Amino acid sequence: MFVYEKKLQYPVNIKQTNPKLAKIIITQYGGPDGELGASLRYLSQRFTMPLPELKGTLTDIGTEELGHLEMIGAIVYQLTKNLSEEEIKKAGFEDYFVDHTTGIYPQGASGAPFTAAYLQSKGDAITDLHENLAAEQKARTTYDNILRFCDDYDVRDAIRFLREREVVHYQRFGESLRLLTDKLDEKNFYAFNPEFDKKCFRNQIKKK
Amino acid sequence: MTEREILLKKISTYQFAALDIQLFLDTHPRDTKMVEKMREYLKAAEPLIAEYEKKYGPLKKSMTDTNRWRWIKGPWPWETEEDY
Repeated sequence: MFVYEKKLQYPVNIKQTNPKLAKIIITQYGGPDGELGASLRYLSQRFTMPLPELKGTLTDIGTEELGHLEMIGAIVYQLTKNLSEEEIKKAGFEDYFVDHTTGIYPQGASGAPFTAAYLQSKGDAITDLHENLAAEQKARTTYDNILRFCDDYDVRDAIRFLREREVVHYQRFGESLRLLTDKLDEKNFYAFNPEFDKKCFRNQIKKK
Repeated sequence: MTEREILLKKISTYQFAALDIQLFLDTHPRDTKMVEKMREYLKAAEPLIAEYEKKYGPLKKSMTDTNRWRWIKGPWPWETEEDY
């Protein structure tokens, strides 16, 4: 189950509204490489993962991504607080505004709504871990791209924290992949599905 | 930053250090030194959490408060004191 803690993982305290920036950053809420997709990806994949280390890693990273989703929501909320119609027009925020006012909606920077097609749960640990490694890098690239358009210190500070976490998660998924291949027949890691073709384990996992 | 935000940041710093170690331990479960380190950080956060919850209300619902349901009291995590 999940228990809510009434705090952000890292503080978000933005003094200057900026609806134009909010429209870019919302992509990490519901875009193709965003935190919602990340969380659903890991929390879904974990059910059929072999090895206790992999179940733990996916559960904990998937949970942390929910915290990141909340941070992105807080950033977008604070960037669009108390806007006047004048400010909305000036920032070109009308297109988001007509659909959602200043509500937080999971969509990409181009306005495409969130879809589960952004993630995969393949039931193959090798395949899924490779997807996850790629996903962490894609999110890191997205944060780097956001930082190119952002000179507000308060926003940069939170975005840089989130960017750094992608790097750490990449490291942990790399270790997960190594832990798994260490237990497989080293003659060919990549031709079998270790979740289904149990024979590919060097010493077959004993069922209790 | 308000006094509340400063205290919350201190708590978050210890909790984040512990969380990052926990993630490390998922792939290095036999590293007892790091388990020790994680406990140290969580322990350091304890008195700060108690102080925070006493002054500003619960961080988790598990906190048994007196007779008022302070859980719903703002500011919520995405807000600041300015919103009130």
